[in-house]
Amino acid sequence: MKMEDVSLSSMDNSKMEGFAQDILSDLVEDACLGLCFEVHRAVKQGYFFLDDTDQESMKDFEIVDQPGVDIFGQVYNQWKNKECVCPNCSRSIAASRFAPHLEKCLGMGRNSSRIASRRIASGNNTNKSESDQEDNDDVNDNDWSYGAEKKAKKRKSDKVFLHSLKQPVPLNPNSPRRSKSMKHKND
Amino acid sequence: MRAAINQKLIEMGERERLKELLRAKLIECGWRDQLKALCKEVIKEKGIENVTVEDLVAGVTPKGRALVPDSVKKELLQRIRAFLSQHST
Repeated sequence: MKMEDVSLSSMDNSKMEGFAQDILSDLVEDACLGLCFEVHRAVKQGYFFLDDTDQESMKDFEIVDQPGVDIFGQVYNQWKNKECVCPNCSRSIAASRFAPHLEKCLGMGRNSSRIASRRIASGNNTNKSESDQEDNDDVNDNDWSYGAEKKAKKRKSDKVFLHSLKQPVPLNPNSPRRSKSMKHKND
Repeated sequence: MRAAINQKLIEMGERERLKELLRAKLIECGWRDQLKALCKEVIKEKGIENVTVEDLVAGVTPKGRALVPDSVKKELLQRIRAFLSQHST
């Protein structure tokens, strides 16, 4: 099919401008139609009005900008000086000391099991731990400060050193790792 | 001859690129949100159950054309003119 071989350069500028405007107008119309189709689908599928909230709920969740209060309107150091009653020993403990106290009191958590095993080990060696149980509880409440932890750590490293001096620990034939590999071999 | 250029525009993918560029610019300048608000009015008028695509198109397109900012129009016209002058022979 042979088309007219007129090049654009012979077309004057106003015509070219008109052509460009037409192309732009087509593109804009495409964009409008695209939007209309999207909106129509959203309306028919029921998700068009989903992000609208009524004015009342908007006011409930507005950002708060007052001093002494966070952006949700809550006072944030309200619980600093409150006291809680421990459900285990029924003592009244300060809020910031409550979690570590509960750890010791209930006998759960990392530190309390370490302390317990240490006490058992030193109980075997020295046989005097029974009477000191209650006092130790209070002393160990301060475990969280750096100084006490240092003392505790040092004692532990001493014990490890002593162990290594005694005799080498033989490989336990019943330890889980060993038996697993043995089992596979026999199969 | 216009048809030939139009064909080139499409075949070379330039029309798609122009469309994407226009879409991005219109979202940036808030045109899309304005038109969505207009659509909401049409919907409230006609009722959710009965609104058709034609309603939306008829109600929104003329204003949509008028609301396109001049800067966006300029930029696109520039690109179109550049393409036309490049591919006019």
